[in-house]
Amino acid sequence: MDEEVIRLENVWKIFGDRADEAMAAIKKDNLTKAEVLSQFQCVVGIADCSFSVPRGEIFCIMGLSGSGKSTLVRHLNRLIEPTSGKIHVLGKDMISLPAEELREMRAMHIGMVFQHMALLPHRTVRDNVGFPLQVRGEPKSKRWATSQHCLNLVNLDGYEDRFPRELSGGMQQRVGLARALASDPEVLLMDEPFSALDPLIRRQLQDQFMALSAELQKTTIFITHDLDEAIRIGNRIAIMKDGRIVQIGTPEDIVTNPTDDYVKDFVEGISKLKLVFAHTIMEKIGKYKPARGEALSKSPRVPHDTDLDHLIDISTETTQPIVITDDDGKDVGVINKSTLLKGIKGGKA
Amino acid sequence: MTDTGLELGASDLDHSVGGFAKENRDYYTGEFEKIQGTTGFPWSWNTMAAVVGPLWGAWRGAWGFFWTFLVLELFAFVQLGRGLWGELGADQLAKVERLTANIAKREQQAKEAVAAGDQAAADGALKIAENLKKVVVSAQEAADKAAGEASTILLIGIALLIAVKVIEGFYANIAYEKQYLGWRANPDKVQAGPNTGSAIFGGILLVAIWPLTLFRFTVTDPDKILSSLTGGFLGGSVPITEFPVKKEFYASWAKKGDAGFDFLANEFGTVFNGVTATIRAVLDFLEIILIQTPWPVVMVVIVVMAFRLAGPRVAVFTAASLLYLSFMGLWELSMITVALIGAGAALCVIFGIPLGIWFGKSKRAYTFAEPVLDFMQTMPAFVYLIPIIAFFGTGKPPGVLATIIFAMPPVIRLTALGMRGVPEATKEAAVAFGCSRWQLLMNVELPLAMPSIMTGINQTILMSLSMVVIASLIGAEGLGALILEALQYAAKGQGLLGGLAILFCAMVIDRIAQGMYRRKTEGQ
Repeated sequence: MDEEVIRLENVWKIFGDRADEAMAAIKKDNLTKAEVLSQFQCVVGIADCSFSVPRGEIFCIMGLSGSGKSTLVRHLNRLIEPTSGKIHVLGKDMISLPAEELREMRAMHIGMVFQHMALLPHRTVRDNVGFPLQVRGEPKSKRWATSQHCLNLVNLDGYEDRFPRELSGGMQQRVGLARALASDPEVLLMDEPFSALDPLIRRQLQDQFMALSAELQKTTIFITHDLDEAIRIGNRIAIMKDGRIVQIGTPEDIVTNPTDDYVKDFVEGISKLKLVFAHTIMEKIGKYKPARGEALSKSPRVPHDTDLDHLIDISTETTQPIVITDDDGKDVGVINKSTLLKGIKGGKA
Repeated sequence: MTDTGLELGASDLDHSVGGFAKENRDYYTGEFEKIQGTTGFPWSWNTMAAVVGPLWGAWRGAWGFFWTFLVLELFAFVQLGRGLWGELGADQLAKVERLTANIAKREQQAKEAVAAGDQAAADGALKIAENLKKVVVSAQEAADKAAGEASTILLIGIALLIAVKVIEGFYANIAYEKQYLGWRANPDKVQAGPNTGSAIFGGILLVAIWPLTLFRFTVTDPDKILSSLTGGFLGGSVPITEFPVKKEFYASWAKKGDAGFDFLANEFGTVFNGVTATIRAVLDFLEIILIQTPWPVVMVVIVVMAFRLAGPRVAVFTAASLLYLSFMGLWELSMITVALIGAGAALCVIFGIPLGIWFGKSKRAYTFAEPVLDFMQTMPAFVYLIPIIAFFGTGKPPGVLATIIFAMPPVIRLTALGMRGVPEATKEAAVAFGCSRWQLLMNVELPLAMPSIMTGINQTILMSLSMVVIASLIGAEGLGALILEALQYAAKGQGLLGGLAILFCAMVIDRIAQGMYRRKTEGQ
């Protein structure tokens, strides 16, 4: 898990004719977005974004529309050129990559799924899925075998000879996913893949995707505007606002420790029951003063990574406070009813 | 005013109308409220507009009102002028005078003929003189009647003027309220309030338009009177009924044009010959296939092709059309025509599609090409037939060239349109999977643009057909020449049969092409 697959350093993207001038001015004078717009007629799309993603991680980038998340993900396969900054994917410096090698990177190592599927309407599902291989110059037999395999992965066997328009939106997006998997890339870029689908289908596809990614272990950048989705799918989440990354962290980090009001607003409506764990809200065992009638020896013992949802279940069956143990089974903390309620409400003791 | 904010309160409206009208705020606020409060005719009267008419429109910046009533009032004034001082029936009187002179001349001729002893010629001249006398009588009657109508025309003029004034008065506020709405949406562009400058401008326009027009239509011989009025000043020779320019001016420019074409034809002779040779090669190839191949073979191939590509119904129609052509003895002419169209359309497609792809991809190239394409399509064919003859001579290849000029724009335009219509997202996806530009073009852009391109090809073929007759003007043989001949001798039957033959050729080609494309798309 530790090998770094994607690394972005101080990536900026400025749209407009005078982007380079604007960039120089920003570096020198630290202009705001509004100043750049009024002085250079340039729009700041991405401002100073840096992150790195280890192999196998699902890294969600969450933000509202216009926050620059789709622009950011397009930098990873250089569909958009950054104005400044460094981008490394699989150890290669994407920015200095010559055209030929860039195409090879796209064709072999980076798969992409789009919000609006972008399938080719004049090709069958099989030929759509095989398209990345055709671009690479693979023979038809190999293309067909791979398509078959990938369509199996997304549970779409039997639809090989259909055309995209004959399929529902959810099925089309599964074709899109199969196409991205066809070249067996190390990196998957998913640009709001489920946003255009209705909630029920979206949930199904999320489940299917999670199962699939557990199996395939692809390094994935997943763009979404839906925090619930990000929390469900992501190992880590980056929250973007106005082209900047305002916070990067695990779902629990984000929910319990929002860095600013913007993130806090987002997190407000999120159920914390499955995101917050015992070790976050417990009181240290040494500091806990048992109330009358309590005896920690009679308390139920649960591991420290039990979530709030589970703690509530246990709490309803006992009058004793709950004792939390660490990985070695040693008692490390205590949670009584009032700590638990505070935890549910505020996420943190 | 309500708290919901859904209804605009009267005071808000007041304020805004006041800001628009600037003068007479209260009046316009009241009138606009009346207009906006009714669904029927608002009966809102504006005395100022009725009295000064178009000038009110100019002053308030209501230019539509200004121009409309400038014309209407002028019309009423002309009637008034004709009734008051116009010499009605003057043209008839002039005719009487002219005819009387003519009669005298004929009678003189008759006398001379009698003197010469040519009785037949004398009778002829007398007969003409007799007939002319009848015409003189009726002209005299018409002149008297017209003179008697002066008072009627005067009354009509007065009635018209009153009616126009009434319309002005009732329409002014309606028009002004529309302008007010426009001003709300676009306060920088629409004039608000009265403006002295625009009133002066309107006044100048009135002075420039009204008197001269009135003069022209109410005076019998305006040029003569004008030159006598301004005699010394304008040299007595500036007419107002036609533009004072000499014919030599035009002729000298036309001569310069001739010289230019001759120069080009001499300098670039090799290029023009090369073009002609290329077209002739394509044409020869098609003629070998269509004409020199035995007719049963060609017919069978065409019908089978129609059946395979477009289905049984089109095949039956095709067979019937071919029978018509052959039994009317038009088979060879038709095949010459088809070869002509085929060569034109093929060259259009060969050059048009790559151009269309280029214009679809490069906005700048398209900006430059667009006026040229417009020119090719809208310029009447007769105009470019002349330089074509100058550069390429006459015969079939120049005919094909004329066809290409007219028929190429649709395939270029529709290819460009199709290329631009390929969704960005689809192209982006293909690029994200490592497509090169060529792969993108072949696998994504062209297939997605294909419906549009096919429509373009179809249009091109049909437009080629419409050029067949025109191309025959510069010596392209075929059905077109047949029709041209029919036109020259007013041979109605020949024209009809030839026209039907062209129609059948067009329909067969069109049905086969469409059926082919439909089958292809249904296959998907």
